[in-house]
Amino acid sequence: MSTRKDIAVIGYGETKVTLKGGRSSYDLAGEVFEQVLVQTGLEPKDIDGISIAETMSETANPFWGVYMCEMLGISPTWMQLNGLGGASGIGGIARAAAAIRDGLCETVLVLASDAQSSSRPTEQGGQRHEFQYPQGLRGPVGAFGLLSQRYRHQYGLDDRALAKLAITQRNHALMNPNACDKLQKPLTEEEYLSSKYVSEPLRMLDSVMVCDGANAVLVTSTEKAKKYGAKRMCHPVGYGEITNFKGADPLADMTVSGFSVAGPRALKQAGMAAKDVRMIMPYDDFLIALVITLEDIGFCPKGKGCEFVMNTDFTYKGTLPLNTSGGQISAGQPGLAGGGLNLVEGVRQMLGGAGARQVSDPRNCMVTGIGVIPYGRNWGVSNVLILEQS
Amino acid sequence: MSDVAKKPEPKKIPRPLPKPGVYMDTRPFWDAAHQGKLVVQYCKDSGRAQFFPRPVSMVNGRRNLEWREVSGRGTVYSFTNTYSAWPGHEDRVPYLCALVELEEGVRMLVNLHHVKNEDVKIGMPVKVCFEKLSEEYDLPGFEPA
Repeated sequence: MSTRKDIAVIGYGETKVTLKGGRSSYDLAGEVFEQVLVQTGLEPKDIDGISIAETMSETANPFWGVYMCEMLGISPTWMQLNGLGGASGIGGIARAAAAIRDGLCETVLVLASDAQSSSRPTEQGGQRHEFQYPQGLRGPVGAFGLLSQRYRHQYGLDDRALAKLAITQRNHALMNPNACDKLQKPLTEEEYLSSKYVSEPLRMLDSVMVCDGANAVLVTSTEKAKKYGAKRMCHPVGYGEITNFKGADPLADMTVSGFSVAGPRALKQAGMAAKDVRMIMPYDDFLIALVITLEDIGFCPKGKGCEFVMNTDFTYKGTLPLNTSGGQISAGQPGLAGGGLNLVEGVRQMLGGAGARQVSDPRNCMVTGIGVIPYGRNWGVSNVLILEQS
Repeated sequence: MSDVAKKPEPKKIPRPLPKPGVYMDTRPFWDAAHQGKLVVQYCKDSGRAQFFPRPVSMVNGRRNLEWREVSGRGTVYSFTNTYSAWPGHEDRVPYLCALVELEEGVRMLVNLHHVKNEDVKIGMPVKVCFEKLSEEYDLPGFEPA
């Protein structure tokens, strides 16, 4: 992407996050589709590209993406289905930018919608039937229990730092009407610390609650954005991604993530250093992921993440505002649309639409994604997107 | 319809048994376990072990692979005390899941047996043991060496 600003993000939409809301992924997607059209003044026929995140609720249908186009009444000349888990949202922006530059389409809806809490879980198959289910590892919760224990052993893990992240995000969620109702109550350090273990040393309040919801952003060329008369826009200026990090190393250090690759790549492309980042919307399935993300991208040395957290003001008024809509942990995780939740908040902040929690001087924003729990290693997909003003 | 039908007891999910041969031929692993032996895949070209079983070598992408018996000795890389059970494991709560590194250089996701959570230490030596799941299946786990 270099520091070109030829691609623009000009709009966004988001449903309220609900627990077992009962509406389908299609219905939720329709709501954000309408929001994006109203906000940008575009018509369905203007959208000639669509990037859709895979879901937990509809993925049993191999034609999910095409069905979605039929539901929305659009006939795109470019369609992309992203199976990167929580990395599908910002991965969709990078792919949309490439498709626009290649002339495959002009205006792309980057859409994520999932009714995971209202649906039967999707079976992931593979080796799990032999090497995970008989042993009883509790999915991502178990994997992050193992990761937390190992991190604690190598570097020490300051529970107060995790509590601070939990409380900061909760306070942000209290200012976000789209956050899940069940999470709309203040949180104290004591409540965090006394939260019950789900997979010791991982606590209930370290973890997301799986919900339903949808979100979308609209991506087009900067030239086209001007023709549309877009008054506010931001530009993707840096991107890095890696899948199956350390996939061939059977003894990879579990505490090191793919952000050690994707972070520096994105920053270099944007011509920035970590200290230049104005605000960050990191993927937060578990609180410890935030600590590891900050370390591996280069905000602080490896193992010093908790210290960095204790010394940094992450509130929307702070020096490095973080997940200002509450993140997934306090707004709720809309299934595999969860990767879009913090992305939409980043775009909302950049476009000046965050209301009471608006960050001053929103000159740039880093958004990250995490996807997939592999066997015995750190998470599988890491990606980093940097957005900048015109 | 005044008679309220008796609510059936919620169906208890049994502990999942391995399903060999679904994603590839893993039958040799389970046959060996049934005889009290631990085998893992080796890349014959590089001599490197790999786990879980894959269709190709993680070293060179070739299919020149074979099963070899390993020592069954290793150390605890990490562990977690599971309170929120995976379906079918409710009766076992709390139970220990661990990553064990074998001397042969691979990491396995296993259960730890004959040890309490507070006594497990990362780096502690462990050895393989077998948990009988059914007439057909013995599941490799680990216990303090």
